[in-house]
Amino acid sequence: MLRMKAAPRFAELRLLVFVAALLVLGYVAVVASAAASFSATPVVVPITFLGLALGLHLFLVARGARGDQLLLPLALALTAIGLVEVQRLAPERLALQQLTWCALAALAFVAAMLVPRDLSVLQRYKYTWALLGLLLLISPLLPGLGREINGARIWIGVGNLFQFQPSEAVKILLVVFFAAYLEEHREMLSAPPRRFGPVPVPPVPYLLPILAMWAVAMVVMVFEKDLGATLLFFGIFLAMLYLATGEPFYTLIGALLLIAGGVIAYQLFGHVQARVDTWLAPFAEESRFGPSFQLVQGLFAFANAGLVGAGLGNGMPERIPVVWSDFVFAAFTEETGFLGGLALLALYLVFVYRGMLIAVRAPTPFLQLLAAGLAFIVAFQTLVIVAGNAKLIPLTGVTLPFVSYGGSSLVTNFLLTALLIRISDVTARVRGAP
Amino acid sequence: MRPIAQNIRALTLAIAIAFLMTSLGVGYWTLVAAGELSRDPFNPRLLAASIDRPRGRIVDAKGAELAVSRQTPEGWRRAYADRSLAHVTGYASFKYGASGIEGAYGASLIGQDAADPLGQMRARYLKEYADPGAVQLAIDLDLQKAVAAALGGRRGAIVVLDPRTGAVRASASLPNYEPGLVSDPAQQDLAWQQLNGNTERPLINRVAQGLYPPGSTMKIVTAAAALESGLDPKAKIRVDDPFQADPSWGTYRVRSSSQAHGDFDLSLAMQRSENIYFAKVGLQIGGARLAEYAGKFGIGTAPKCDLPAARGQISNTGALDRPTLLADTAYGQGELLVSPLQMALIAATIANGGVMPTPHYATAVKDASGAVIRAIAPGPVGQVVRADTARTVAQTMVDAVQAPGAFAFAAKVPGVNVAGKTGTAENPSGAPHGWFVGFAPAEAPTVAVAVLLENSPKGGEDAAPVGGAVLRAALGR
Repeated sequence: MLRMKAAPRFAELRLLVFVAALLVLGYVAVVASAAASFSATPVVVPITFLGLALGLHLFLVARGARGDQLLLPLALALTAIGLVEVQRLAPERLALQQLTWCALAALAFVAAMLVPRDLSVLQRYKYTWALLGLLLLISPLLPGLGREINGARIWIGVGNLFQFQPSEAVKILLVVFFAAYLEEHREMLSAPPRRFGPVPVPPVPYLLPILAMWAVAMVVMVFEKDLGATLLFFGIFLAMLYLATGEPFYTLIGALLLIAGGVIAYQLFGHVQARVDTWLAPFAEESRFGPSFQLVQGLFAFANAGLVGAGLGNGMPERIPVVWSDFVFAAFTEETGFLGGLALLALYLVFVYRGMLIAVRAPTPFLQLLAAGLAFIVAFQTLVIVAGNAKLIPLTGVTLPFVSYGGSSLVTNFLLTALLIRISDVTARVRGAP
Repeated sequence: MRPIAQNIRALTLAIAIAFLMTSLGVGYWTLVAAGELSRDPFNPRLLAASIDRPRGRIVDAKGAELAVSRQTPEGWRRAYADRSLAHVTGYASFKYGASGIEGAYGASLIGQDAADPLGQMRARYLKEYADPGAVQLAIDLDLQKAVAAALGGRRGAIVVLDPRTGAVRASASLPNYEPGLVSDPAQQDLAWQQLNGNTERPLINRVAQGLYPPGSTMKIVTAAAALESGLDPKAKIRVDDPFQADPSWGTYRVRSSSQAHGDFDLSLAMQRSENIYFAKVGLQIGGARLAEYAGKFGIGTAPKCDLPAARGQISNTGALDRPTLLADTAYGQGELLVSPLQMALIAATIANGGVMPTPHYATAVKDASGAVIRAIAPGPVGQVVRADTARTVAQTMVDAVQAPGAFAFAAKVPGVNVAGKTGTAENPSGAPHGWFVGFAPAEAPTVAVAVLLENSPKGGEDAAPVGGAVLRAALGR
């Protein structure tokens, strides 16, 4: 951010009013329906959050940011829904914790608006980012540092106080690296000297990152038992490859590789097999109270939704184990109905659409790839968890961006939002448009 | 090289399509599948509505209470009148869901019957719950007690139904369990653990969910299929034990249970339960024909009952395409599997002039004032065999009980003509299962019954007197 001259952002401010209304109404509904005795949390959380939201807006105004005015209100609206759901579903201490994470996410947002001063740093040191991502990715496997929670070894922690899921941050680093790498080599990849029938065959060295990526995805699946991250990394990679080359064959081959890996993993590893089996027959007598209990209870929650829902605080989504993380979409839909679920999906779709619009308009191929990749993260992750809730694909434990309880995810998504706003800011300055 | 912007647009379109499909998936669960899942007995939402409120009563045909909610210092607790009805009433546990009538009529029992949409909406949106009424069953508690006594302590199942309506008047399955324990939050965990760890599987309703080879009771189906394929019931068929149709059978032979040598017609074959006669008849009409009739009689299809019911099978593949399999199936072995409820329905079909009734346990849902909200009287499944076929088969079943020297003589009831058939079903789990299926009075049947005794040393010989006792109780004699 180069300029310091303040510039108003009225559209953003107007939209923040809606965010405030959403949050307050949601809180009132949830608190009113709970029989619990009075406590300060339901008052402290929304007020603090609205303060944070206004602070972020004023920060952008003060910095004279000229970028997109929709993304921040959208991110805040989704986060507000997340706070309402945590208040509704989770033990009270988690609501306060989530508020703390919101503050950290706001700090991350501010930091990402200021550092680096020039986004080209991301492009120049691409291998540094790749290495950092790789280190973060394998960090949970290190003894002493790694933690296994709910059967997946994807956390690092210091003592019992602080736990972080590095795979969340890795997603952004991956997109940065791929945007830079593919921008450099996209000519060779999309118009290779040799073709095998309709299939482009780039020189072997250029294929290495593809195979390396596949290997990394498999390692994550096997050693960290994290199917969600596997799917996300590989999906992000394939999308980036397509964005850079426009060549559907890479995506096809990559998808086939992933399926092949999945089939082999199904044969070899119990945790993969269990996921797929409970997905295929969740209502089977032997798994209804066992491995597929969570999925079945989630489907019951959907079934209770109807068109307009049971009303916030009026359903029974708390029967779903760890509902505030994996099944927050099902919980939200139960109480706000099919229409509420659609509205939530629409918020994501608008966010993704704005992100893609920023990408289309961005001045350099690197920024185009970067913005599209970041928007894709949000789209893909939303689809994977919502489709998993709705039994369209096997359930994987990825978070619903902004809404699910969890700090690593929230911080990462606000970093991502900041980057998108910065890219649109660069575009606005280059084009000189208002 | 395509401009990146173009790729971005294509990807955005793909994302939009994926969002659309995901929305459709959410729409499916929230709108299309919602009705069925909301009534699922494992959905805790229906049971949650009765945590701080009594559930509706389950009453028998005469109004006697089979399940009621009682106020205790710990809250409302479910009490059940008769343990032999465990599989019928089922349990209602907030944690483990509900089974039996408690599950199948879960919405009705909290005052939200589907026939009362206004009440459903008041409960859902306003939390105003109507006082629950009652679900009335066709079960007759006095008859049920007699049936449970006839079963004694033996593993097995007995079902009594009205062949004209399909209403189930008694239904006992052993081993059973104490539904009150599973429904009690203080004891449910231990009870659930013990019931699921029990290798005899007491939670299974053997009447509708237990599957067994039918043994000689299958001969009712084979006889009906043969009659409709042109078999003359008076025609003599030569029986020489052991029987082999042709040398391709190798060492395999069909054995007669009485080492018979002689000429049999249909009636005599039913009286003596002659395997070789029915094996030959089966081979005559062919596998396709026999499979067709077994299917028409409901084997391989789950009966449309208000409690969960098993499908059974004609054979592992559903076809009777090998001669030895066909011969074995014709007299009730082979790969056949049926439930006692299915056999009772087959007897009821013969009793009812060839029309199969739809089985049902409940007859009415009533509101708190006792007025009927919804009467449950499903129409018949349909005409399975011609009326004259049913009449001929019925006569042979009467002979099988009443004629001198008939195997099933022990099922006789003084002063009433009983039609019946015993069966001794060989099975891999040990001693043969004993069967008796039948109906009475033969001229105008009001009762159809199926008795199954698991691993009973003398098979059908043990089951026939049990069938007689049940028919006596059901006819009030």
